[in-house]
Amino acid sequence: MGGDKIKKDRRQKREDYRRAIRQDGVSELPRKKFYRQRAHANPFSDHQLIYPPHPDQMDWSSLFPDYVVHEEPQQPQQQPNPSAAAPSSPGTDLAPFQPKRLSKDVEIADIGCGFGGLLVALAPTLPDTLMLGLEIRVSVTQFVEDRIQALRTQARRAAETPSDSSPPPAPGMYRNVGVLRANAMKFLPNFFRKGQLSKIFICFPDPHFKARKHKQRIVSATLNSEYAYVLRPGGIVYTITDVPDLHEWMVRHFEAHPSFERVSEEEQESDPSVAIMRTETEEGKKVERNKGQKHVALFRRLEDPEW
Amino acid sequence: MVAFPYHLLKVCGGIVFAAQGSDIHSFNSRLEHVSTWKYPQQHAAESTGPAEEAQDSPAPEGPPAKRRKVEDGKDDAASNGQAKGKKAAQYDNPANERPFLQGLYATTDGRYLVAITGCDKTIWVFEHDGAGHLKELSRRAMPKRPCALTLTRDNRTILSADKFGDVYALPLIPTTTPDTSSPAPTTPAIPLSRSETPIILRPEANELTVHTKRNLRALENQKISLERKAAREAEQQEQNRPKFEHTLLLGHVSMLTAICVGVAPSSSNPSTMREYIITSDRDEHIRVSRGVPQTHVIEGFCLGHEDFVSRLCIAPGGKEELLIAGGGDDDLLVWDWRSGRLLARAPVLEHVKRVKGMEEVNKVAVTRVFATPKWWITGNGTVRTVVFVVVERVPALLLYELWHDNTLSHRCNIPLPGNPLDLDLLVDEDLVQGSTSCRLLVALDPTQKGSSATTESEDPGCTTSLMVMANTGDEWKPAPVENLPTSSSADIGEAELHKLLYTTEGLRKLTDFE
Repeated sequence: MGGDKIKKDRRQKREDYRRAIRQDGVSELPRKKFYRQRAHANPFSDHQLIYPPHPDQMDWSSLFPDYVVHEEPQQPQQQPNPSAAAPSSPGTDLAPFQPKRLSKDVEIADIGCGFGGLLVALAPTLPDTLMLGLEIRVSVTQFVEDRIQALRTQARRAAETPSDSSPPPAPGMYRNVGVLRANAMKFLPNFFRKGQLSKIFICFPDPHFKARKHKQRIVSATLNSEYAYVLRPGGIVYTITDVPDLHEWMVRHFEAHPSFERVSEEEQESDPSVAIMRTETEEGKKVERNKGQKHVALFRRLEDPEW
Repeated sequence: MVAFPYHLLKVCGGIVFAAQGSDIHSFNSRLEHVSTWKYPQQHAAESTGPAEEAQDSPAPEGPPAKRRKVEDGKDDAASNGQAKGKKAAQYDNPANERPFLQGLYATTDGRYLVAITGCDKTIWVFEHDGAGHLKELSRRAMPKRPCALTLTRDNRTILSADKFGDVYALPLIPTTTPDTSSPAPTTPAIPLSRSETPIILRPEANELTVHTKRNLRALENQKISLERKAAREAEQQEQNRPKFEHTLLLGHVSMLTAICVGVAPSSSNPSTMREYIITSDRDEHIRVSRGVPQTHVIEGFCLGHEDFVSRLCIAPGGKEELLIAGGGDDDLLVWDWRSGRLLARAPVLEHVKRVKGMEEVNKVAVTRVFATPKWWITGNGTVRTVVFVVVERVPALLLYELWHDNTLSHRCNIPLPGNPLDLDLLVDEDLVQGSTSCRLLVALDPTQKGSSATTESEDPGCTTSLMVMANTGDEWKPAPVENLPTSSSADIGEAELHKLLYTTEGLRKLTDFE
């Protein structure tokens, strides 16, 4: 009874808090304690996920409103015509939904972005590149959503009210970062076209220690083919973990995959994204506090051979 | 108790193979029974080799033995020490106990027949002597339950798509005998092999990755128990790994439902043709991967289905870039699989509603999409591509025509006295040249008609589980067949039988209705 009551109170508090923070104009950063969720999710189960049937039908406009292209109304051939009902006339039939277009495509994906530390640190360093976090846990996704919203509001306000001490930040800060709840192991090709991405981050993935859970790991021989599909040749997969065996596992599987080669250590250390990945991810900070090790490995997408 | 209907058909030249429960019967073109292969009932208990059990037994003389023991030691070991028993009990699928043929395939020359049984995850290969007699060549238990398979164009490699989402390549004729005790030569050529679980002598976590007191204590305990466990696991892994050549080609993170092979001109040398492996899954995807040995390269996806995809059909010669796909969606989709472009839609649900008794149906599950080959000529002498579609639990065939502009349009429904389960074309040997009438062979589930099924099982002579349809002009009429084979009755409840026969609708996600 008592436990139930406490649970209820906690849930109520969470809901109140989240509602308050989502109100317009709130620029306070969300607090994690109202968004905690069990660290593991089963990637094989049918979650109630929302995903587009095809990348062309993905509506990015709510995630990246500043990049929406304001187009003229649709050209006439898109209008329903009288013969549309006939099954033999493709065209209108086959393009059921035309979302608003963006001026550029998402190029960076953070698979399992967690509380969004990497994205938030990366966004100002690559201000003209759209980046998307994918996270399977609902509450955690909401946290990142609220965090991005608050950061955008803060950046806009800071730009409006100039202070003497520091130069005003760009008003558009953080408008290039978005987050989605998704199961990246199943639905990556629903969001991204072939070769759309230039960077994929896989930071501190669930290690799935038990041998029988290894098939749930985010890196596997067969899944790497999907990363290769959405990455353009020359694109990079960034991995970091504090678990030595998982590091070995990821290195083994990417090196064995003919579409990838390991990036040399010098190149790895000169990549500014690596430093951010080491220090700015939430897990990275935790490992730092606990004085743990961090293992980094980068892999480059190779050109496909002739076929 | 009802009799097993014939549920899978494969015509090889003048011979018809029809699966019934766990047996494969063969018939000549006049549908006279030739021979029967029976699933070996107690192969676990007996130590005899599979070849000795393979026999061309004469006509079914009596009902098959009731005892169907399939759970052998191997299956238990496959669980890797996990609580599989609990899981199996939880999902009480009759297919777990009863051997049941889930797929029947043949090489293009008809010399080899390949079958899948789900209960023991086994792929069977038979040699066909051309006269309807089968000789069992191999029996290979896969790591996971195969859902569908196909053969490469050279007919030398089986591509097996399984429930776990992986596609394996197996030589049709194993290079080594399946029962050698030497370690299996797993996949030297393709680097995609799923890493064997390393035998761990130290825990994967260490003092730096766990932080709480409790976890540290657990870590200590883990270290102690691991050494003992390692030896055990090494032994188990050795047992688990199939002792035959099998190569992991590609994988989805979803149950696979269908697989087929397409060909397209090579990008570097357009005069040579390259193979592609097309796979579909329960999560609405159709994936196009390169053929062996570049199966790690995904060429593209055909994305646009909004429910599971259960059936893929490459259009016949001359239109091999077309892929007709169906599943839980209301429509069939016609794809250019080489570009991933959607070309046309053809409604299914709309036409199912016009079948008598189906007016209230609000969802469909396509189980067969069968395009007639290019040599096939309709009754009035014109060359057309006709596509027959079977929808689960709908007592009719839906007939479509594929037009030159790549659209697919519904022509008619052919009502049937039971739910169609499978179909194939029956070509009479003497009529191949200048043939004007090809007959269509349909396997039916007669039990769906009312509850009077019991009488049918008691009277083996009146089974309507096989039907021949003749094409007269533009119409299809059931042609009477005198010598319809008798079915050996097995004791199976109607509910259990339906669970075995009608599995496609079960692919639909429950969340769809919420």
